[in-house]
Amino acid sequence: MLAFLQAALDGLMIGGVYAVISIGLTLVFGVMGIINFAQAEFLMLGMFVAYFAWAWLGLDPLIAAPAAFVIVGALGLAVQTLLLRRVMRAPPVAQVFLTVSLLIVLQNAALLAFGSSFRSVITPYQSSALRLGPLYLSLPYLAAFAASVASGLALWLFLQRSWFGRAMRATAQDPFAAQLVGINTQAMHRLAFAIGVGLTAFGGAVILPYLTVYPTVGEQFVVLMFTVVVLGGLGSVLGAIAGGFSVGLIQSISGLFLPVQLQNLVLFVVFIAVLSLRPEGLLGARR
Amino acid sequence: MNGRSWRVVVAAGILVVALCLPLGLDPQGYAIRIFTLIFLFAAMAQSWNIVGGLANQMSLGHAAFFGIGAYTSTLLLIRMGISPWLGMAAGALLGGMVAALLSLPTMRLSGHYFALATLAFGEVMRVLANTWASVTGGPGGISVPFGQDSWWMLSFKSTRPHYYLTLGALISVTAVFVAIQRSAFGYRLRAVRENIAAAEVVGVDSARTKILAATISGALIAALGTLYAQLTFFFDPDTVFGIAPISIRVALIAILGGVGVAIGPIIGALVIIPLEEAANFAFSAQAAGLSALVYGLLLVTIIFVEPRGLVALAGLRKRWRSS
Repeated sequence: MLAFLQAALDGLMIGGVYAVISIGLTLVFGVMGIINFAQAEFLMLGMFVAYFAWAWLGLDPLIAAPAAFVIVGALGLAVQTLLLRRVMRAPPVAQVFLTVSLLIVLQNAALLAFGSSFRSVITPYQSSALRLGPLYLSLPYLAAFAASVASGLALWLFLQRSWFGRAMRATAQDPFAAQLVGINTQAMHRLAFAIGVGLTAFGGAVILPYLTVYPTVGEQFVVLMFTVVVLGGLGSVLGAIAGGFSVGLIQSISGLFLPVQLQNLVLFVVFIAVLSLRPEGLLGARR
Repeated sequence: MNGRSWRVVVAAGILVVALCLPLGLDPQGYAIRIFTLIFLFAAMAQSWNIVGGLANQMSLGHAAFFGIGAYTSTLLLIRMGISPWLGMAAGALLGGMVAALLSLPTMRLSGHYFALATLAFGEVMRVLANTWASVTGGPGGISVPFGQDSWWMLSFKSTRPHYYLTLGALISVTAVFVAIQRSAFGYRLRAVRENIAAAEVVGVDSARTKILAATISGALIAALGTLYAQLTFFFDPDTVFGIAPISIRVALIAILGGVGVAIGPIIGALVIIPLEEAANFAFSAQAAGLSALVYGLLLVTIIFVEPRGLVALAGLRKRWRSS
């Protein structure tokens, strides 16, 4: 029972991070209607930004996370303006082709620039944990969780309260009507993509204290991120949060009775089952 | 000459060139290997094209069936000494069955959702093959036993027989594709693709149509998995069940050439495989990642020049479509 509670606690903590890295993916899909297969590469870039902020400037990854958001977000703006904008009206196969090519480019540019070695940061709280009665709460997990929840809340407020957020949601619901009321949908696409990849990079930075970064680290997260957004319903931000927690819990609890390699298997099976039974997501409304 | 007979003459001419070409190439050399890979991947993309093009369901998990084919024939060969020809039939049967089973839950999905579900299924197979080491040999991979040169055992020192095998495979798969395209079944597929409700109204069983297409496609690419195994002599789960080396590559080849047309995968493979090799050849000595980076940049460029594929670029699309 104790082991189960501990696994559930760890799962919730990791799930919070999964939520924030996947919100970016779901935002891009919700607003632009394209699935960005290169999303996990922006996570990798965020991890590298945080790594170099630590290696060169001595900054903690949690402090560098906003910088990762800004830098990778700016890169996302450029990618949307220069590349993705041109295939917005092309058939889906062309969009997949482009984002997959982008994945290859980003991954190998990173390999070229940073080399293939595994890098990790050292922080004072890395191996400490809080005691909660019989349970332990790992500090790096807690810090990443707190940063993720804060950024998720900030995005939610932005989408609900600000004019830009409302305009972005309007673009997602009906681009034509949004244009009619004077919203620059092109600008909304740029903004959504920049925020989307920026958030994913932010998530990458906050998980750096308990992970290592290397150019192909994104591969570990691709299917995982898709599982999160599909569980919650593609395009739904609240859904991605729920999906993130579910995936964290599934992963960590299945780890109690399955070997490590098979943890992801459970996840993929859940993923296919949810896709085929409720493609609109567990929380999504039937359309 | 009308358009049809003109095309027959051109196709026959190309075939004669393809048949004679190996005579001028070093049978152990690099060039003949490239051609062999082009034919193999063109055939794989052509089997993808049945689901991806005719049914317009973009699969990103065809590695699942490909890997099943490669492992089935190789394991039968190692454990029981069964000829890869029979292994190929067994693999195709198994691959087709798995494809049919997978299409039960996924056939109602379309567009992005279908792509994601098949992507995840490919990963399921890769994880299983890596974990189930007592059967598959696990992450360490599996070696195909090599004996005497033999057509019955599909084992050759030289690449030349493989050249003809893969060329034959490409012609066969393309023939299946064209036969489906022109048959009543092909029309049902297109009807389901264009408007499923209208297709159902006129009496097309859309579920059966989609499952049958998925089964044929999965069985064909599984059979090609055997050819791949016999050609490379060694493979591991991350290669044959891989997203990047198989699933996405096969889809990219078909998309690049032109989805839903018979010539598309052939043109796509003729461009992509040499492009990969050229990038490798030119840049691999300099720094890790550079060749793949150049390759990726070229792909990005291509999609901007013509998002509908190279067939459209050459203006061939209408001509081939109208047939």
